[in-house]
Amino acid sequence: MIEARSVWLRYTPNSGWVLRGASLRLAPGSIVALMGPNGSGKTSMLKVLAGLIKPGRGEVLYNGLNIWDMDDARRLEARRTAVYVAEKPVMVRGTVMDNLLLGLRLRGIDPQLAEKRVEWVVESLGLDSILDMNARSLSAGQAQIVSIARALVLGPKYLLLDEPFPHLDRARRRLLAGLLEELRSEGVAIAIAGHEEAYTLRLSDSIAWIESGIVTMQEPDSVLI
Amino acid sequence: MEDLVGVTARTLYISTTATLLAALWGIPIAYTIAWKRLHTLAAVFEALVGVPTVLIGLLLYLLLSKQGPLGGLNLLYTPTAIIIGEAILVTPLIVGASHRILKVSIDTYGELAASLGSSRIQAMTLALAESLPGLASSTAMAFSRAVGELGVALLVGGNLRGYTRTLSTSIALEVSMGEYGDAIKLGAVLLSLSLGFSIIARLLGDRVDRG
Ligand SMILES: Nc1ncnc2c1ncn2[C@@H]1O[C@H](COP(=O)(O)OP(=O)(O)OP(=O)(O)O)[C@@H](O)[C@H]1O
Ligand SMILES: [Mg+2]
Repeated sequence: MIEARSVWLRYTPNSGWVLRGASLRLAPGSIVALMGPNGSGKTSMLKVLAGLIKPGRGEVLYNGLNIWDMDDARRLEARRTAVYVAEKPVMVRGTVMDNLLLGLRLRGIDPQLAEKRVEWVVESLGLDSILDMNARSLSAGQAQIVSIARALVLGPKYLLLDEPFPHLDRARRRLLAGLLEELRSEGVAIAIAGHEEAYTLRLSDSIAWIESGIVTMQEPDSVLI
Repeated sequence: MEDLVGVTARTLYISTTATLLAALWGIPIAYTIAWKRLHTLAAVFEALVGVPTVLIGLLLYLLLSKQGPLGGLNLLYTPTAIIIGEAILVTPLIVGASHRILKVSIDTYGELAASLGSSRIQAMTLALAESLPGLASSTAMAFSRAVGELGVALLVGGNLRGYTRTLSTSIALEVSMGEYGDAIKLGAVLLSLSLGFSIIARLLGDRVDRG
Protein backbone atom coordinates (compact mmCIF):
# COMPACT_ATOMS: atom_id res chain seq x y z
CA MET A 1 0.00 0.00 0.00
CA ILE A 2 1.29 3.48 -0.77
CA GLU A 3 -0.31 6.63 0.43
CA ALA A 4 0.21 10.37 0.25
CA ARG A 5 -1.20 11.91 3.40
CA SER A 6 -2.06 15.63 3.63
CA VAL A 7 0.67 16.55 1.23
CA TRP A 8 1.64 20.15 0.56
CA LEU A 9 3.92 20.87 -2.37
CA ARG A 10 5.40 23.88 -4.05
CA TYR A 11 8.15 23.95 -6.64
CA THR A 12 9.99 27.04 -5.42
CA PRO A 13 10.01 28.65 -1.98
CA ASN A 14 8.25 31.77 -3.24
CA SER A 15 5.63 30.24 -5.50
CA GLY A 16 2.16 29.17 -4.43
CA TRP A 17 1.28 25.72 -3.15
CA VAL A 18 0.47 23.29 -5.96
CA LEU A 19 -0.78 20.59 -3.62
CA ARG A 20 -2.61 21.83 -0.54
CA GLY A 21 -3.15 18.98 1.84
CA ALA A 22 -3.84 16.37 -0.84
CA SER A 23 -4.24 12.71 0.09
CA LEU A 24 -4.37 9.64 -2.10
CA ARG A 25 -4.07 5.94 -1.42
CA LEU A 26 -3.19 3.10 -3.77
CA ALA A 27 -4.26 -0.33 -2.62
CA PRO A 28 -3.00 -3.59 -4.15
CA GLY A 29 -5.18 -4.93 -6.94
CA SER A 30 -7.00 -1.71 -7.67
CA ILE A 31 -6.95 1.05 -10.23
CA VAL A 32 -7.43 4.69 -9.28
CA ALA A 33 -8.09 7.31 -11.92
CA LEU A 34 -6.68 10.70 -11.01
CA MET A 35 -8.58 13.44 -12.80
CA GLY A 36 -8.77 17.18 -12.75
CA PRO A 37 -8.24 20.27 -14.89
CA ASN A 38 -4.92 21.08 -16.56
CA GLY A 39 -2.45 22.32 -14.00
CA SER A 40 -4.46 20.96 -11.08
CA GLY A 41 -1.57 18.84 -9.79
CA LYS A 42 -2.11 15.34 -11.20
CA THR A 43 1.44 14.99 -12.41
CA SER A 44 2.77 16.51 -9.20
CA MET A 45 0.73 14.08 -7.13
CA LEU A 46 2.01 11.06 -9.04
CA LYS A 47 5.60 12.24 -8.66
CA VAL A 48 5.08 12.72 -4.94
CA LEU A 49 3.64 9.21 -4.68
CA ALA A 50 6.61 7.85 -6.62
CA GLY A 51 8.99 9.54 -4.21
CA LEU A 52 10.49 11.65 -6.99
CA ILE A 53 9.79 14.97 -5.32
CA LYS A 54 9.73 15.68 -1.65
CA PRO A 55 6.64 17.48 -0.42
CA GLY A 56 7.05 20.50 1.84
CA ARG A 57 4.62 19.07 4.34
CA GLY A 58 2.75 15.80 4.80
CA GLU A 59 3.77 12.18 4.56
CA VAL A 60 4.42 9.70 1.79
CA LEU A 61 3.86 6.27 3.24
CA TYR A 62 5.05 2.98 1.77
CA ASN A 63 3.50 0.19 3.80
CA GLY A 64 2.96 2.66 6.58
CA LEU A 65 6.46 4.11 6.68
CA ASN A 66 7.26 7.64 5.56
CA ILE A 67 9.89 7.34 2.85
CA TRP A 68 11.22 10.81 3.68
CA ASP A 69 12.12 9.61 7.18
CA MET A 70 14.16 6.75 5.73
CA ASP A 71 17.88 6.82 4.93
CA ASP A 72 18.83 6.94 1.24
CA ALA A 73 19.31 3.21 0.84
CA ARG A 74 15.98 2.35 2.46
CA ARG A 75 14.15 4.99 0.45
CA LEU A 76 15.65 3.71 -2.78
CA GLU A 77 14.56 0.19 -1.94
CA ALA A 78 11.01 1.40 -1.22
CA ARG A 79 10.91 3.62 -4.30
CA ARG A 80 11.84 0.68 -6.50
CA THR A 81 8.47 -0.92 -5.84
CA ALA A 82 6.81 1.98 -7.65
CA VAL A 83 7.45 3.20 -11.19
CA TYR A 84 6.25 6.50 -12.58
CA VAL A 85 5.69 6.81 -16.33
CA ALA A 86 5.86 10.43 -17.49
CA GLU A 87 3.25 11.99 -19.75
CA LYS A 88 6.01 13.07 -22.15
CA PRO A 89 8.13 10.00 -22.89
CA VAL A 90 11.89 10.45 -22.69
CA MET A 91 14.07 8.08 -24.68
CA VAL A 92 17.79 7.64 -24.16
CA ARG A 93 20.16 7.23 -27.10
CA GLY A 94 19.97 3.78 -28.61
CA THR A 95 17.35 1.34 -29.79
CA VAL A 96 13.93 0.58 -28.39
CA MET A 97 15.42 -2.54 -26.82
CA ASP A 98 18.14 -0.45 -25.11
CA ASN A 99 15.37 1.67 -23.65
CA LEU A 100 13.34 -1.32 -22.51
CA LEU A 101 16.36 -2.59 -20.61
CA LEU A 102 17.32 0.82 -19.19
CA GLY A 103 15.62 0.34 -15.82
CA LEU A 104 17.30 -3.03 -15.32
CA ARG A 105 20.66 -1.54 -16.21
CA LEU A 106 20.15 1.36 -13.80
CA ARG A 107 19.24 -1.05 -11.04
CA GLY A 108 22.22 -3.24 -11.78
CA ILE A 109 20.11 -6.23 -12.78
CA ASP A 110 21.39 -8.62 -15.44
CA PRO A 111 18.86 -8.36 -18.32
CA GLN A 112 19.10 -12.13 -18.82
CA LEU A 113 17.46 -12.64 -15.44
CA ALA A 114 14.47 -10.64 -16.65
CA GLU A 115 14.32 -12.19 -20.10
CA LYS A 116 10.92 -13.81 -19.58
CA ARG A 117 9.42 -10.61 -18.29
CA VAL A 118 10.84 -8.58 -21.20
CA GLU A 119 9.46 -11.10 -23.69
CA TRP A 120 6.07 -11.00 -22.06
CA VAL A 121 5.94 -7.19 -22.15
CA VAL A 122 7.12 -7.04 -25.75
CA GLU A 123 4.52 -9.56 -26.79
CA SER A 124 1.64 -8.12 -24.78
CA LEU A 125 2.15 -4.64 -26.16
CA GLY A 126 3.02 -5.68 -29.70
CA LEU A 127 6.52 -4.20 -29.80
CA ASP A 128 8.28 -6.93 -31.80
CA SER A 129 8.52 -4.96 -35.01
CA ILE A 130 10.07 -1.84 -33.50
CA LEU A 131 12.64 -3.34 -31.12
CA ASP A 132 15.61 -2.40 -33.30
CA MET A 133 14.38 1.07 -34.17
CA ASN A 134 16.23 4.18 -33.02
CA ALA A 135 14.21 5.10 -29.94
CA ARG A 136 14.39 8.79 -30.76
CA SER A 137 12.70 8.38 -34.10
CA LEU A 138 9.56 6.79 -32.66
CA SER A 139 6.17 8.40 -33.19
CA ALA A 140 4.48 9.96 -30.16
CA GLY A 141 2.26 6.92 -29.63
CA GLN A 142 5.10 4.46 -30.13
CA ALA A 143 7.26 6.35 -27.64
CA GLN A 144 4.38 6.37 -25.16
CA ILE A 145 3.89 2.63 -25.33
CA VAL A 146 7.63 1.99 -25.14
CA SER A 147 7.94 4.11 -22.02
CA ILE A 148 5.08 2.17 -20.42
CA ALA A 149 6.71 -1.09 -21.46
CA ARG A 150 10.01 0.09 -19.99
CA ALA A 151 8.26 0.47 -16.63
CA LEU A 152 6.50 -2.89 -16.83
CA VAL A 153 9.77 -4.69 -17.46
CA LEU A 154 10.65 -3.82 -13.86
CA GLY A 155 7.60 -5.59 -12.50
CA PRO A 156 6.47 -2.77 -10.19
CA LYS A 157 3.97 -3.32 -7.40
CA TYR A 158 2.76 0.23 -7.92
CA LEU A 159 2.36 1.61 -11.40
CA LEU A 160 1.86 5.35 -11.78
CA LEU A 161 0.79 6.22 -15.32
CA ASP A 162 0.64 9.86 -16.32
CA GLU A 163 -1.85 10.24 -19.17
CA PRO A 164 -1.00 6.96 -20.88
CA PHE A 165 -3.82 6.85 -23.43
CA PRO A 166 -3.96 10.07 -25.50
CA HIS A 167 -1.46 9.18 -28.23
CA LEU A 168 -2.33 5.51 -28.54
CA ASP A 169 -4.37 4.15 -31.40
CA ARG A 170 -7.46 2.11 -30.70
CA ALA A 171 -5.71 -1.27 -30.93
CA ARG A 172 -2.92 -0.22 -28.58
CA ARG A 173 -5.39 1.31 -26.12
CA ARG A 174 -7.17 -2.00 -25.98
CA LEU A 175 -3.90 -3.91 -25.54
CA LEU A 176 -2.85 -1.61 -22.73
CA ALA A 177 -6.22 -1.75 -21.01
CA GLY A 178 -6.16 -5.54 -21.14
CA LEU A 179 -2.68 -5.60 -19.72
CA LEU A 180 -3.58 -3.25 -16.88
CA GLU A 181 -6.53 -5.45 -15.98
CA GLU A 182 -4.24 -8.44 -15.94
CA LEU A 183 -1.79 -6.63 -13.67
CA ARG A 184 -4.59 -5.59 -11.35
CA SER A 185 -5.71 -9.17 -11.02
CA GLU A 186 -2.14 -10.02 -10.05
CA GLY A 187 -2.33 -7.47 -7.24
CA VAL A 188 -0.58 -4.50 -8.79
CA ALA A 189 -1.85 -1.11 -7.64
CA ILE A 190 -2.28 1.31 -10.52
CA ALA A 191 -2.92 5.03 -10.70
CA ILE A 192 -3.85 6.60 -14.02
CA ALA A 193 -3.79 10.35 -14.40
CA GLY A 194 -5.99 11.38 -17.22
CA HIS A 195 -8.96 13.28 -18.45
CA GLU A 196 -12.25 11.64 -19.07
CA GLU A 197 -11.12 9.06 -21.61
CA ALA A 198 -13.38 6.05 -21.88
CA TYR A 199 -10.61 3.64 -21.01
CA THR A 200 -9.47 5.47 -17.90
CA LEU A 201 -13.04 5.59 -16.66
CA ARG A 202 -13.86 2.03 -17.56
CA LEU A 203 -10.78 0.59 -15.89
CA SER A 204 -10.89 2.50 -12.66
CA ASP A 205 -12.24 1.16 -9.39
CA SER A 206 -12.37 4.66 -8.02
CA ILE A 207 -11.84 8.18 -9.19
CA ALA A 208 -9.84 10.80 -7.39
CA TRP A 209 -10.73 14.31 -8.43
CA ILE A 210 -8.05 16.88 -7.88
CA GLU A 211 -8.68 20.60 -7.98
CA SER A 212 -6.94 23.55 -6.32
CA GLY A 213 -4.43 21.07 -4.91
CA ILE A 214 -6.98 19.08 -2.97
CA VAL A 215 -8.16 15.56 -3.74
CA THR A 216 -11.75 14.44 -3.36
CA MET A 217 -12.74 10.83 -4.00
CA GLN A 218 -15.66 10.07 -6.23
CA GLU A 219 -17.41 7.01 -7.55
CA PRO A 220 -16.59 5.88 -11.09
CA ASP A 221 -19.75 7.10 -12.85
CA SER A 222 -20.42 10.46 -11.30
CA VAL A 223 -17.93 12.32 -13.50
CA LEU A 224 -19.60 11.17 -16.67
CA ILE A 225 -22.71 13.24 -16.20
CA MET B 1 58.18 34.24 -42.19
CA GLU B 2 58.66 31.33 -39.84
CA ASP B 3 57.95 27.87 -41.25
CA LEU B 4 54.20 27.54 -41.65
CA VAL B 5 53.94 23.97 -40.43
CA GLY B 6 55.81 24.81 -37.24
CA VAL B 7 53.61 27.77 -36.38
CA THR B 8 50.48 25.81 -37.15
CA ALA B 9 51.57 22.87 -35.03
CA ARG B 10 52.45 25.19 -32.14
CA THR B 11 49.15 27.01 -32.43
CA LEU B 12 47.27 23.72 -32.41
CA TYR B 13 49.24 22.47 -29.43
CA ILE B 14 48.63 25.63 -27.42
CA SER B 15 44.94 26.04 -28.17
CA THR B 16 44.14 22.34 -27.83
CA THR B 17 45.86 22.12 -24.47
CA ALA B 18 44.13 25.31 -23.32
CA THR B 19 40.73 24.08 -24.44
CA LEU B 20 41.14 20.67 -22.85
CA LEU B 21 42.28 22.29 -19.61
CA ALA B 22 39.27 24.58 -19.66
CA ALA B 23 37.00 21.57 -20.30
CA LEU B 24 38.71 19.69 -17.48
CA TRP B 25 37.61 22.23 -14.90
CA GLY B 26 34.78 23.91 -16.82
CA ILE B 27 32.56 20.86 -17.25
CA PRO B 28 32.67 19.86 -13.55
CA ILE B 29 31.87 23.47 -12.66
CA ALA B 30 28.99 23.43 -15.14
CA TYR B 31 27.77 20.14 -13.71
CA THR B 32 27.82 21.48 -10.18
CA ILE B 33 25.98 24.63 -11.23
CA ALA B 34 23.33 22.58 -13.00
CA TRP B 35 22.95 19.98 -10.26
CA LYS B 36 22.83 22.46 -7.38
CA ARG B 37 20.89 25.02 -9.44
CA LEU B 38 23.34 27.85 -8.74
CA HIS B 39 21.59 30.34 -11.01
CA THR B 40 23.62 33.35 -9.94
CA LEU B 41 26.93 31.67 -10.64
CA ALA B 42 25.60 30.58 -14.03
CA ALA B 43 24.73 34.19 -14.82
CA VAL B 44 28.22 35.32 -13.81
CA PHE B 45 29.84 32.88 -16.23
CA GLU B 46 27.42 33.83 -19.00
CA ALA B 47 28.38 37.46 -18.48
CA LEU B 48 32.10 36.68 -18.57
CA VAL B 49 31.84 35.16 -22.06
CA GLY B 50 32.14 38.61 -23.57
CA VAL B 51 35.28 39.75 -21.73
CA PRO B 52 37.79 41.09 -24.31
CA THR B 53 40.78 38.80 -24.71
CA VAL B 54 43.19 41.70 -24.38
CA LEU B 55 41.92 42.37 -20.85
CA ILE B 56 42.63 38.80 -19.83
CA GLY B 57 46.02 39.18 -21.44
CA LEU B 58 46.66 42.36 -19.48
CA LEU B 59 45.55 40.84 -16.18
CA LEU B 60 47.72 37.80 -16.70
CA TYR B 61 50.64 40.01 -17.77
CA LEU B 62 50.41 41.95 -14.51
CA LEU B 63 50.29 38.72 -12.53
CA LEU B 64 53.19 37.04 -14.34
CA SER B 65 55.54 39.98 -14.92
CA LYS B 66 58.75 40.12 -12.88
CA GLN B 67 57.24 42.53 -10.33
CA GLY B 68 53.89 40.71 -10.30
CA PRO B 69 52.72 38.35 -7.53
CA LEU B 70 53.40 35.28 -9.71
CA GLY B 71 56.56 36.67 -11.28
CA GLY B 72 58.68 34.09 -9.49
CA LEU B 73 57.20 31.34 -11.68
CA ASN B 74 59.04 32.77 -14.71
CA LEU B 75 56.11 32.02 -16.97
CA LEU B 76 55.91 35.28 -18.86
CA TYR B 77 56.65 34.88 -22.58
CA THR B 78 56.29 31.09 -22.51
CA PRO B 79 53.77 28.85 -24.29
CA THR B 80 52.50 27.87 -20.85
CA ALA B 81 51.47 31.46 -20.19
CA ILE B 82 49.42 31.51 -23.40
CA ILE B 83 47.86 28.17 -22.51
CA ILE B 84 46.81 29.46 -19.09
CA GLY B 85 45.45 32.68 -20.57
CA GLU B 86 43.46 30.95 -23.30
CA ALA B 87 42.16 28.37 -20.86
CA ILE B 88 40.84 31.20 -18.68
CA LEU B 89 39.47 32.93 -21.76
CA VAL B 90 37.34 30.00 -22.94
CA THR B 91 36.29 28.77 -19.49
CA PRO B 92 33.17 30.95 -19.34
CA LEU B 93 32.21 29.79 -22.81
CA ILE B 94 32.54 26.13 -21.86
CA VAL B 95 30.81 26.59 -18.52
CA GLY B 96 27.96 28.56 -20.09
CA ALA B 97 27.30 26.18 -22.96
CA SER B 98 27.82 23.00 -20.93
CA HIS B 99 25.67 24.25 -18.12
CA ARG B 100 22.71 24.79 -20.42
CA ILE B 101 23.13 21.30 -21.89
CA LEU B 102 23.57 19.63 -18.51
CA LYS B 103 20.62 21.42 -16.93
CA VAL B 104 18.21 20.09 -19.55
CA SER B 105 19.84 16.69 -19.34
CA ILE B 106 19.62 16.49 -15.56
CA ASP B 107 15.98 17.57 -15.62
CA THR B 108 14.95 15.02 -18.22
CA TYR B 109 17.31 12.06 -17.82
CA GLY B 110 17.87 12.54 -14.13
CA GLU B 111 14.14 12.31 -13.56
CA LEU B 112 13.79 9.39 -15.95
CA ALA B 113 16.52 7.48 -14.14
CA ALA B 114 15.00 8.24 -10.75
CA SER B 115 11.57 7.11 -11.89
CA LEU B 116 13.08 3.81 -12.98
CA GLY B 117 14.58 3.32 -9.53
CA SER B 118 18.17 4.36 -10.05
CA SER B 119 20.38 5.64 -7.29
CA ARG B 120 21.44 9.27 -7.32
CA ILE B 121 24.87 8.41 -8.69
CA GLN B 122 23.38 6.40 -11.56
CA ALA B 123 20.96 9.21 -12.34
CA MET B 124 23.87 11.66 -12.50
CA THR B 125 25.84 9.27 -14.69
CA LEU B 126 22.97 8.80 -17.13
CA ALA B 127 22.44 12.57 -17.39
CA LEU B 128 26.15 13.03 -18.07
CA ALA B 129 26.30 10.22 -20.63
CA GLU B 130 23.33 11.62 -22.52
CA SER B 131 24.98 15.05 -22.73
CA LEU B 132 28.36 13.89 -24.04
CA PRO B 133 27.78 14.91 -27.68
CA GLY B 134 26.64 18.34 -26.50
CA LEU B 135 29.63 18.73 -24.22
CA ALA B 136 31.97 17.75 -27.03
CA SER B 137 30.24 20.32 -29.20
CA SER B 138 30.75 23.10 -26.68
CA THR B 139 34.41 22.11 -26.32
CA ALA B 140 34.93 22.27 -30.07
CA MET B 141 33.29 25.70 -30.07
CA ALA B 142 35.68 26.85 -27.36
CA PHE B 143 38.59 25.58 -29.40
CA SER B 144 37.57 27.62 -32.41
CA ARG B 145 37.63 30.70 -30.18
CA ALA B 146 41.00 29.87 -28.62
CA VAL B 147 42.78 29.08 -31.86
CA GLY B 148 42.42 32.54 -33.36
CA GLU B 149 42.79 34.50 -30.15
CA LEU B 150 45.31 37.36 -30.31
CA GLY B 151 45.22 39.45 -27.13
CA VAL B 152 46.51 36.83 -24.72
CA ALA B 153 49.03 35.32 -27.13
CA LEU B 154 50.54 38.70 -27.86
CA LEU B 155 50.68 40.09 -24.32
CA VAL B 156 51.85 37.08 -22.33
CA GLY B 157 53.39 35.10 -25.20
CA GLY B 158 55.46 37.94 -26.55
CA ASN B 159 55.44 36.60 -30.14
CA LEU B 160 58.90 35.00 -29.83
CA ARG B 161 59.99 33.35 -33.06
CA GLY B 162 60.06 29.54 -32.85
CA TYR B 163 58.78 29.59 -29.27
CA THR B 164 55.58 31.49 -28.61
CA ARG B 165 54.66 32.68 -32.08
CA THR B 166 51.19 31.53 -33.09
CA LEU B 167 49.19 31.93 -36.28
CA SER B 168 47.41 35.01 -34.99
CA THR B 169 50.51 36.75 -33.67
CA SER B 170 52.36 35.90 -36.90
CA ILE B 171 49.62 37.57 -38.88
CA ALA B 172 49.89 40.69 -36.73
CA LEU B 173 53.65 40.73 -37.28
CA GLU B 174 53.52 40.15 -41.05
CA VAL B 175 50.96 42.89 -41.47
CA SER B 176 53.05 45.32 -39.43
CA MET B 177 55.96 44.55 -41.74
CA GLY B 178 53.86 44.96 -44.87
CA GLU B 179 54.11 41.28 -45.83
CA TYR B 180 50.49 40.94 -46.81
CA GLY B 181 50.97 37.81 -48.91
CA ASP B 182 52.32 35.86 -45.94
CA ALA B 183 49.65 37.30 -43.67
CA ILE B 184 46.97 36.06 -46.03
CA LYS B 185 48.53 32.61 -46.19
CA LEU B 186 48.59 32.40 -42.40
CA GLY B 187 45.09 33.78 -42.29
CA ALA B 188 43.83 31.05 -44.59
CA VAL B 189 45.27 28.34 -42.36
CA LEU B 190 43.80 29.97 -39.27
CA LEU B 191 40.42 30.35 -40.89
CA SER B 192 40.31 26.71 -41.95
CA LEU B 193 41.23 25.55 -38.41
CA SER B 194 38.65 27.78 -36.81
CA LEU B 195 35.94 26.91 -39.34
CA GLY B 196 36.85 23.25 -39.16
CA PHE B 197 36.23 23.14 -35.45
CA SER B 198 33.06 25.22 -35.73
CA ILE B 199 31.77 22.69 -38.21
CA ILE B 200 32.68 19.82 -35.91
CA ALA B 201 30.86 21.63 -33.09
CA ARG B 202 27.86 22.08 -35.32
CA LEU B 203 27.77 18.45 -36.42
CA LEU B 204 28.02 17.25 -32.82
CA GLY B 205 25.28 19.70 -31.90
CA ASP B 206 23.06 18.27 -34.62
CA ARG B 207 23.67 14.83 -33.18
CA VAL B 208 22.32 16.08 -29.88
CA ASP B 209 19.15 17.34 -31.53
CA ARG B 210 18.60 14.19 -33.52
CA GLY B 211 19.72 11.98 -30.66
N1 LIG C 1 8.77 21.83 -12.48
C1 LIG C 1 7.88 22.76 -12.12
N2 LIG C 1 8.29 23.96 -11.65
C2 LIG C 1 7.42 24.89 -11.29
N3 LIG C 1 6.08 24.73 -11.32
C3 LIG C 1 5.60 23.56 -11.76
C4 LIG C 1 6.47 22.52 -12.18
N4 LIG C 1 5.71 21.47 -12.57
C5 LIG C 1 4.43 21.85 -12.39
N5 LIG C 1 4.35 23.10 -11.92
C6 LIG C 1 3.11 23.83 -11.58
O1 LIG C 1 2.36 23.01 -10.74
C7 LIG C 1 0.98 23.05 -11.08
C8 LIG C 1 0.47 21.66 -11.26
O2 LIG C 1 1.13 21.06 -12.35
P1 LIG C 1 0.92 19.56 -12.77
O3 LIG C 1 1.86 19.27 -13.87
O4 LIG C 1 1.00 18.71 -11.56
O5 LIG C 1 -0.58 19.58 -13.30
P2 LIG C 1 -1.42 18.47 -14.08
O6 LIG C 1 -2.67 18.27 -13.34
O7 LIG C 1 -0.59 17.28 -14.33
O8 LIG C 1 -1.74 19.21 -15.45
P3 LIG C 1 -1.97 18.59 -16.93
O9 LIG C 1 -3.37 18.09 -17.00
O10 LIG C 1 -1.80 19.77 -17.81
O11 LIG C 1 -0.93 17.53 -17.15
C9 LIG C 1 0.88 23.93 -12.32
O12 LIG C 1 0.42 25.18 -11.93
C10 LIG C 1 2.28 24.03 -12.82
O13 LIG C 1 2.50 25.29 -13.36
MG1 LIG D 1 0.18 16.41 -15.99
